[in-house]
Amino acid sequence: MRNTWAVCKREFVSYFITPVGYVVAGVFALISGIGFAASFIGYARATQSPSAYGYTGVPDFEETLLSPFLVFCGLLIMFIGPLVTMRLLAEEKNRGTAELLLTHPLRNREIVFGKYGAALGMLLVMMAVVSIQMAVVWYFVPHVEPAVLGFGVITVFLMGAAFLSMGLFVSSITRNQVTAGTATFGLWFVSYVLGSLSRDLPDAIALPENWSPWAVRAASFGYSIFRSLATELPLDVHAQEMAQGVLQPEDILYYVLFSAFWLFLTLRVLETRLWRA
Amino acid sequence: MIVLTGVTKYYGQIAAVEGVSFSVEAGEVIGFLGPNGAGKTTTLRILTGFTTASRGTAKIAGFDVNDHPIEVKRRVGYLPESVPLYREMIVRKFLGYVAEIKGLQGKKRVHEVGRVMERCGLSHMAGRTIGNLSKGYRQRVGLAQALIGNPPVLILDEPTVGLDPRQIVEIRDMIKNLAQEHTVLLSTHILPEVAMVCERVVIINRGHIVAEDSMANLAGVSGDKRVFDADILGDETAIRITLADVHGVRDVAVEAKGRYRITTDPDERMGVLLTTALVRANHGVENLRERTRTLEDVFIEAIGADEGDAA
Repeated sequence: MRNTWAVCKREFVSYFITPVGYVVAGVFALISGIGFAASFIGYARATQSPSAYGYTGVPDFEETLLSPFLVFCGLLIMFIGPLVTMRLLAEEKNRGTAELLLTHPLRNREIVFGKYGAALGMLLVMMAVVSIQMAVVWYFVPHVEPAVLGFGVITVFLMGAAFLSMGLFVSSITRNQVTAGTATFGLWFVSYVLGSLSRDLPDAIALPENWSPWAVRAASFGYSIFRSLATELPLDVHAQEMAQGVLQPEDILYYVLFSAFWLFLTLRVLETRLWRA
Repeated sequence: MIVLTGVTKYYGQIAAVEGVSFSVEAGEVIGFLGPNGAGKTTTLRILTGFTTASRGTAKIAGFDVNDHPIEVKRRVGYLPESVPLYREMIVRKFLGYVAEIKGLQGKKRVHEVGRVMERCGLSHMAGRTIGNLSKGYRQRVGLAQALIGNPPVLILDEPTVGLDPRQIVEIRDMIKNLAQEHTVLLSTHILPEVAMVCERVVIINRGHIVAEDSMANLAGVSGDKRVFDADILGDETAIRITLADVHGVRDVAVEAKGRYRITTDPDERMGVLLTTALVRANHGVENLRERTRTLEDVFIEAIGADEGDAA
């Protein structure tokens, strides 16, 4: 635990010795700020003359402002997250410092958790920005439950944490930071796009009539699994409801398990270094 | 303290080291010699747990490097060949981080960092960014991080490569001092370094060990003969006749005009016998000295024999 903390601290501090930390925090604050201002102004206009914007009554705050904005923040992390994760292990390998890291008395899990902890630290910095925005909402928008706003921040955090765990894994299998960053972004983006496309998937597929019954059953079973994966796996899907303050244990569990899965794989990658004998 | 038994490491089809076995007693300073690409770094990496052996076992202080990696790593200070460091960190912070990982807390940590910086002559560089230091100082930082926590075993992979002559002398002196309280495994291909620092030598070539002995045995007489070089004035035939009469002389060869190489029995009095005989026969002896093998001779012989075997 103490070692995990030491690794985490060193990694987190080095974000801010190099410009990476400032760039990530600054760009996140800038873009999320623009997004926040734009959606806040849009929401204000819509509440003043709902009919002009196609609403029948005062538009629902959570549904029209809060949730889309928070999911937007999560997706923003998708774009700048690779900057946070790409260096974590790839850079150690590239600079040779992995030889120190791996010959110091550290367990593999201490390395993985320490590195992930540092990335989560960067995420917390970004969440501080979102928290300020939520404070603005709480101050200006009447009848908003602070708990809903709090859940909102937690949602973005969970979504970001899931992204970062995947990024850490990619960083562990690459040696070059650019490769790591690009591959991470590609992976995230593809899963995001597939998620959007999967919303249009039909409930069942039409199969040729001359297929035998068991083939039909197997095919439709396969399709239903594919469909549930395609609709449930993408990271933003589970955030949409959560961001409106609808907190479901399975959504939280989804993010926790998602992160745990990639951390587990990263740990395995570190261990295979020793299998490759 | 360090025991390797039949260590073999394959990279794909190629064996980087094959059947390497040797051991180092506590308190010994061992020179680990070999030409570039002989498998030195691979062997050290297996010992430090950076990679594993395909076959064979490596133990440090009785702990197997595979089964008890943490116990082994606690007892080893390792200076990798390329001296990888976090270049963006300042010296004191970096050493503090290493001390933290090695389990030192609070005041102890500050004290230990101070101690190793003092020891490696880094105290006046404590606040400098590592990336801005010269190669020599970076090497010292690398050595300092290996020394933190005072591990009983030090494994140093080519610690003087790329330094200027003065820095080389400084680092060597530092290693010599360290040798008094640590078991040191020093890998290098610079032979005088070993001659100066080490008590025993292990020579590795193309992945296997070709020689292993104490410095004295390797560099000294091999036991079954003595070889002298002498500058002698006078007629060559007469000198040959004189020398051939001396009891114990086996062979006389002429190296250059007036310069002879005399091979004799391993008799202690050979020097006196040769001089007396030559002086009695009225040959002027300008210079008579015994030829001791330098480490270079040993090295080239061992490696030559190895490559000869393979050919």
